Amino acid sequence: MSFIEIRNLCHRFPDGTLGIDGIDLSIEKGEFVVIAGKNGSGKTTLLRHLNGLLTPSNGEVILDGMSVGQDPRRARRIVGMVFQDADSQIVGETVYEDAAFGPENLKLDREAIRQRVVNALAVVALERLSEQRPHILSGGEKRRLAIAGVLAMEPEVVVFDEPFSNLDYDGIRQVLTQMLTLHKVGKTLLVTTHDLEKVITHADRLVILFEGEVVRNGAPADLLEETENFGVRQPCAARLGGEVPSWLD
Amino acid sequence: MAGLTALGYISGSGRLHRWDPRFKIVALIMVSLASLGTSLPVLSGACLLMLMVVIRAGVPPGALMRDLKPVVLLLLFIFLARALVTPGEQLFVLGPWPVTREGVIAGAAICSRLLLVLLAGVAVMASTRLSEIKAAVEWFLKPIPGVPEKRVGTMLSLIVRFLPHILDQARETGEAQRARGIENRKNPFYRVIRFSIPVLRRTFLTADQLALAMEARCYADDRTDAELVSDRSDWILMGTTVLLCLCLLMF
Amino acid sequence: MTSNKQTLAQQRKMETETGGRQLRMTVYASLMAALTAAGAYMAIPIGPVPIVLQNLFIYLAGLLLGWRWGLASVGVYILAGAFGLPVFAGGLGGIGRIVGPTGGYLIGFLPAVFLIGWISAKRKGNVVYDVVAMIIGTAVIYAMGVSWLKILTGMTWGKTLAVGMLPFLIGDALKIAAAVPISKALRPIVNKTKEA
Repeated sequence: MSFIEIRNLCHRFPDGTLGIDGIDLSIEKGEFVVIAGKNGSGKTTLLRHLNGLLTPSNGEVILDGMSVGQDPRRARRIVGMVFQDADSQIVGETVYEDAAFGPENLKLDREAIRQRVVNALAVVALERLSEQRPHILSGGEKRRLAIAGVLAMEPEVVVFDEPFSNLDYDGIRQVLTQMLTLHKVGKTLLVTTHDLEKVITHADRLVILFEGEVVRNGAPADLLEETENFGVRQPCAARLGGEVPSWLD
Repeated sequence: MAGLTALGYISGSGRLHRWDPRFKIVALIMVSLASLGTSLPVLSGACLLMLMVVIRAGVPPGALMRDLKPVVLLLLFIFLARALVTPGEQLFVLGPWPVTREGVIAGAAICSRLLLVLLAGVAVMASTRLSEIKAAVEWFLKPIPGVPEKRVGTMLSLIVRFLPHILDQARETGEAQRARGIENRKNPFYRVIRFSIPVLRRTFLTADQLALAMEARCYADDRTDAELVSDRSDWILMGTTVLLCLCLLMF
Repeated sequence: MTSNKQTLAQQRKMETETGGRQLRMTVYASLMAALTAAGAYMAIPIGPVPIVLQNLFIYLAGLLLGWRWGLASVGVYILAGAFGLPVFAGGLGGIGRIVGPTGGYLIGFLPAVFLIGWISAKRKGNVVYDVVAMIIGTAVIYAMGVSWLKILTGMTWGKTLAVGMLPFLIGDALKIAAAVPISKALRPIVNKTKEA
């Protein structure tokens, strides 16, 4: 069995619309998966089932052998989530305190919390700002703080929902660098986007969602020509028949 | 935003800064209570002493004056009202009203009492981080049954977290509406509604997102306790404060 | 065995859902407290006396959150101010402000938000109940605020009312009227949490 098993997952919203419809997907440990689709294709809805923020109308998600619905808190420790809007996920009054929020919820002792926070802030290179108020950070720094807040909980899987929105060139490169670092140390990464250009070269697999269903699932190179049938812009280089260059080079 | 933080925490490492926040809060309450049972000369002395403590804590006197101004105006108003309405020996006449000796003394006593409590509050604020205040509040609320102290602590942080966001939203909404000529609408009812609904809607959506993000980070009321340590010198300082408060009460 | 496991799962699921709802209301109550604090700085500049929005948010805390969460919101607001967080108008916080001349109004917010939440819930969405609730709430705020001001200043009732209440009544009437459509626009957002 794979590390993450999504089986016939359906979600109907209270107003009756169908968010996702019968999704089957397996993700192995250490994989870097990009989930692409236009707005409203169900990307965010899918992600929010991985840590039990949404409960399925039908089907289930199995994380490392146990259904998410059985113990959502366990799922939230395994799957760390970086939300689309970095601003609205900051809780603490200082950078340090924000990164400590998760471990405090796990009721770790102070020394363990301190170690985790120092490590997490070092990974995203924010240790020098640890006494700053988050409100004054730049867009890229806020997103990195959000990542640190997730890393301090030491999850196996890190999920990014539209991580590049509202970031400038430098911010995008900062976040991309973080992703590659996490991938290198063996974390499983799931990244949703409607803009493949920035990330696809680094991914192991591309999954395309369309109207709540998985319509393509395979190696990025094989699928790039078809993306525009599903409302996702094809990267320029791929259109010209070349390889998509990394944004980090 | 500047107006909000003018007399906030000022970083420092003096004795007052290092004092355990729980003691500081108890001391603040004791000073407030002691101020009720003392006479005018002692009160003015205590005010001077407290002013020195505030300045020693690193509060720039200029900022202090600026921030105290509206409050001092209110105090002046109380003083005048007292001086004019208290019956007694007439000192002089201000317009149609007689100013009495008893009134001046009563007014000065009330004002210096409030000033003392205000200054003590400024001293605590300037020397205590928000996280320390939060930790102390949680500690004090812990023995009270039915009060989820950790949640109250979380709410305190959230208030501080939301404030700049709300003020930003309010400014943006105001600018966007001025750009579209809202100032031509004279109807105040219309303007209050047009201003409030977008600000509220946006901030409530942010709150939704924040609640989700907190849930994703395993939020629980049962969280790690905040760090609070006190040593002997904390107790000595407390003892000194108790003695000073007793002196206030004796005279 | 299987059914036992299922009920356990069901129970877990329900616990998680109540936890999520509680958390959301906690965040909303903190937001209303922050709005009340910010409301002291938000003024619509009309005529010689600008309309300060603070008590509008007290009304809305009662109408939108109900009496329990409304009380939590105002209670934490006052607690924050008492311990020196910069939430009171003029930037100066601390116990001094609560025992100071305007302290009575601040403390009056507590019974006011309780009454507004409690009365308006008697008939959900009924405008008459909402308006009556806000008028009673306003009366309570002034009863406490003016009494305390009178104790501190020693003025006659007539004079205290003239400086501590009469100048603000027109603005209050306006804010009560405005709170009706505002709460109507916001209730769907808040209620999806309270009931869903």
